[in-house]
Amino acid sequence: MKVTVNHDRCEGHAKCQQAAPEVFQVRDDDLSYVLLADVPAHLKEKVDAAIRLCPRQAIDWEK
Amino acid sequence: MATNTPVRVAEINLADPEVHLRAGQHELFRILRAEAPVHYFPGDESFGPFWSVTKYDDVIAVSRNPQLFSSEKGISIAPVIRPDDDQPAAGGPGITALGKMLILMDPPRHVRLRRLINKGFTPRAVGMLEGEIRRITREILDGLDGRQGVDFVVDVAAQLPLAVICSMMGVPEKDRTLMFDLTNRTIGSGDAEYQDAVPEAERGTRAAARQTAQMAGMQMFAYFAGVLQELRAGRRGDDITSILVDAEIDGEKLSDEEFLLFCFLLIIAGNETTRNAISGGLLAFSEFPAQRARLLGDPSLMDSAVEEVVRWVSPVTHMTRVATADTELRGQRIREGDRLAMWYPSVNRDEDVFADPYTFDVGRTPNEHLAFGIGEHFCLGAGFARLELKVMFEELFARYPAIEVAGPVERLRSNFIGGIKHLPVELGPRK
Repeated sequence: MKVTVNHDRCEGHAKCQQAAPEVFQVRDDDLSYVLLADVPAHLKEKVDAAIRLCPRQAIDWEK
Repeated sequence: MATNTPVRVAEINLADPEVHLRAGQHELFRILRAEAPVHYFPGDESFGPFWSVTKYDDVIAVSRNPQLFSSEKGISIAPVIRPDDDQPAAGGPGITALGKMLILMDPPRHVRLRRLINKGFTPRAVGMLEGEIRRITREILDGLDGRQGVDFVVDVAAQLPLAVICSMMGVPEKDRTLMFDLTNRTIGSGDAEYQDAVPEAERGTRAAARQTAQMAGMQMFAYFAGVLQELRAGRRGDDITSILVDAEIDGEKLSDEEFLLFCFLLIIAGNETTRNAISGGLLAFSEFPAQRARLLGDPSLMDSAVEEVVRWVSPVTHMTRVATADTELRGQRIREGDRLAMWYPSVNRDEDVFADPYTFDVGRTPNEHLAFGIGEHFCLGAGFARLELKVMFEELFARYPAIEVAGPVERLRSNFIGGIKHLPVELGPRK
């Protein structure tokens, strides 16, 4: 499964990094980057939490 | 409520500003959450009809769907920005804010406009200003030395956000008082204290509220029109107005109207909300001395204490959206064109989400409150609010750990902002 961060919306709140540090990293440009091309099943719940907690609704599973 | 008579849901009128002057506000919200979480209010002589949304999950669902729940037709039930008003008071004559001001806009334009300035508001960018914010805070507190009869709102709480937003907007120190005054008249337009430009006999009426807000709006626009003129003449500074004047969306510069509305919004939003979180926070620390003692004993709780202050106060009382199509929410049929009011003090005390919601708990974890909204319109200034609150309470309690509320709390008569106008305090001994 693939997850994406929309950089038009991301404002570096880092909620995703707190929820799923294995998957998201906020860098010096204040944008969150996806570290894994494919999210393994055991991290799905954490990524769901990141999607839910993102204040700017910038994260979603790739459809 | 003091009375033992059960409140009937049909009698609840959240538009009535008087409701929000009293602690009983929370009892009404509790009843709505339990009995009618999506509740239709048919309107009264001052306000048109709207749905009240009082549950946490429902406010998330509405906020996260701007296609279905639009901001472009107004974000407040206040008479001054009603969509059917011919002249929304947020604009003066000739200026209509609907669809043109960031907060009154939907994607995709909202995304693009917000991107022009949001780099200056990220937690990291804000964090770099901590030193400056601390310097300003100390200066404000220095001004209290030897003072008696301190009004915490006017002398302290209002001063920090005012100084920060004015500095970001390039407004010089001499004009801060004007910005403070115009903000009060805009947000407090429904409160007789700020209607002194209206003949005495008319104060307290809806017409007085509208006139007060319109005059303040016109003055604010006139002020920033002057700024715009200077910018057009070539002046540039290290501030947001300089960014906005050069900014382009799809190869087009902002219109004069858009520029003025942007400035207006930033001054108001930067000023009013954090002020009330600081004041409301001090009030909470006075009412819950054990929580203050806990925080003073363990400063590592400051971040969670700040979040709890924001949840507890929920300075923005409501925002509205307008349905763009027929839909359903928690079993209620919403029709295209219906307005929905999201009540933040209610969702932030939702029993299904917060354990002991009526307890002020400086260590509350998790605390995913919605006081800053969520999704498309998540508060741009949340990082500033959090940092200003943190620095203010750190510096305030370091000097005056025993500061207490020492007189009547004068609340703002408003259904939109949970404001405190005046808060007399006794500073106690300076450490």
